[in-house]
Amino acid sequence: MEVLHNLAFGFSHALTIHNLMYCAIGCVVGTLVGLLPGLGPLATISILLPLTYSIPTGGALIMLAGIYYGAQYGDSVSAITMKIPHASSIVACIDGYALTLKGRTGLALFTAGISSFIGGTVAIIVLAWFAPMLGEVAFLFGPADYCALMLVGFVCVSFVTTGSLLNGFSMCLIGVLLGQIGTDVNSGQQRFTMDLPFLADGIGIVSIALGCFGIAEITKNLDERSERSPFNGTIKLMPSWAEFKRIIPSALRGSAVGSFMGILPGGGTVIAQFAAYALERKVSKYKHEIGHGAIEGVAGFAAADEAAARTSFIPLMSIGIPENAVMALMMAAFIIKGIQPGPNMIASHPDLFWGLVASMWIGNVFLVVLNVPLVRYWLSVFKVPYNVLFPCILFFCCIGTYSVNNNVDDIFITAAFGLMGYLMMRLDLDAAPLMLGFILGPMLEENFRRALLLSRGSFLVFVDRPIAGSLLGLVALFIAWQVLGFFLTARKARNGKAPLAAPAAEAEAGVEAGA
Amino acid sequence: MNNRNLVRGLFLMAISLVFGLTALKYPIGEFSRAGPGLFPAIVGAMLFLVGLSIVIRSRFVPGVPIDLHVRNIVIIIGSLCGFALVTLFVNMLAAIVFMVFVATLAGTSYSWKRNVKIAIGLCIMAFVFADLLGMNLPLY
Repeated sequence: MEVLHNLAFGFSHALTIHNLMYCAIGCVVGTLVGLLPGLGPLATISILLPLTYSIPTGGALIMLAGIYYGAQYGDSVSAITMKIPHASSIVACIDGYALTLKGRTGLALFTAGISSFIGGTVAIIVLAWFAPMLGEVAFLFGPADYCALMLVGFVCVSFVTTGSLLNGFSMCLIGVLLGQIGTDVNSGQQRFTMDLPFLADGIGIVSIALGCFGIAEITKNLDERSERSPFNGTIKLMPSWAEFKRIIPSALRGSAVGSFMGILPGGGTVIAQFAAYALERKVSKYKHEIGHGAIEGVAGFAAADEAAARTSFIPLMSIGIPENAVMALMMAAFIIKGIQPGPNMIASHPDLFWGLVASMWIGNVFLVVLNVPLVRYWLSVFKVPYNVLFPCILFFCCIGTYSVNNNVDDIFITAAFGLMGYLMMRLDLDAAPLMLGFILGPMLEENFRRALLLSRGSFLVFVDRPIAGSLLGLVALFIAWQVLGFFLTARKARNGKAPLAAPAAEAEAGVEAGA
Repeated sequence: MNNRNLVRGLFLMAISLVFGLTALKYPIGEFSRAGPGLFPAIVGAMLFLVGLSIVIRSRFVPGVPIDLHVRNIVIIIGSLCGFALVTLFVNMLAAIVFMVFVATLAGTSYSWKRNVKIAIGLCIMAFVFADLLGMNLPLY
């Protein structure tokens, strides 16, 4: 009953004219950037972050959240109609695009829309029940436990987003090091500032995000030198009743999987999609059709996608530890607004928390009511050639990074990170773990120093405490398994088996580990 | 040298050395009372180990060539730095025009007319930001 009461309280905040407007803007902008190449949710949130300075706190957070889950939906639309996944909808290309080839685009889009709605609704129920509960658990955490939890997050994110523990973990570490730039809070010592005054406060997260995701992504698209052909097929949206009935069970299964995957450290939409798709292939009544354009193949992943996008807010809002790069940016948005996410947030800002939860459901309704019927108009954005689009994106990046501090120096920092992001991309290093490392770096250092201070310099504190000990045990087991796996495949390869199978096996192991 | 795995490891080791060696110059303190240099030194050492193991690993897995298009990234970074410099010394409207004309060099086709249209559109956008959203842009 208390949850219902809280939700009603949240709706009373989310249903004001202003907050409805911010929610709608967030969903529309999110869908747009999800569709367009060259701007992911990360870059968009960081461009719009400075614009939200003048917006009241609740509205700003509602809008930024709307961009995130709106982008997830837009991404699946472009994947279904044109087989262009750019952020995360790799799975949508399998069955969704197969349906398009059969001429059933409308059915696929409708399924994705309705399943997203179901997934989002289930996730919000999970969020409303689970976040306050987890918040109570978070009070048991000491500094050493926080350190261990962040390490678990690093390992999971590295493995999930890049499929390779070494590459991802190295990016987390670089992020932590970048987070060290600036003034040390304990001693006042300036670190790594190269005596440049504008580095004394550290690097802005917006500059890093726009450089590594905006600039690097634009250049990557330019390197490909391919103009995309817009989608020209017909779209018939309404399915028959028999088809509609097939959506529901898969969408519910997908929502459950997605909600669970979203809560795990390092979890997020990509891993949830793969897990839901794998589950459908095992248990669905129509599993023989999956892979050749089955409704279940679309419904399961779309529900899991939206569910995970919402439940990934749980660790951020109840423990105060973001679990992936987008949540790291959301945390930056919270902090800019003067709110520290963590166990105290729900109690001290109930209007924000429950308002955000309620607005997520309203955003869901917006996505179904606005975007599903209007999808053919959305697809016309692809008629804008990339040669026109990318100078505009560059302009938004410049304005976004400038307006954080009204300082031109930040544009140079963005340019430097654009170069670095491009190099990293060409070296096959994914920048997403870097963002997480950058946000968590200062927290990790603070907790690490505090833990050692309390234990008088003894590292035993990381093993003695039950929470920290078991979390670090998990990390050790995982690393041991990875090392063993590498040597086994290397030996197999030397015994004459195809050496090229190693990266494929590695990627597959990632999917299975997630499932 | 043109092996992505090897270069990746060396790149990481270089970054770890830059940060790790600088960190050693700051007061390290001791574990029970850590100085500002201790934590970055530890993280730098971990990154060095990761980079080293990537280099070692690259001896055992088949190499992948690096696919680098220097031209596009130089144009884009150049247009960004140009935007900042022109904003500093002239004003932001000139910087927008400059950026549009330089950045589109990286596109698949180049057209003066189209660039003029894009530049006008973006300048209007900048005025919208400045006047309607109250952002503080040095437009003129």
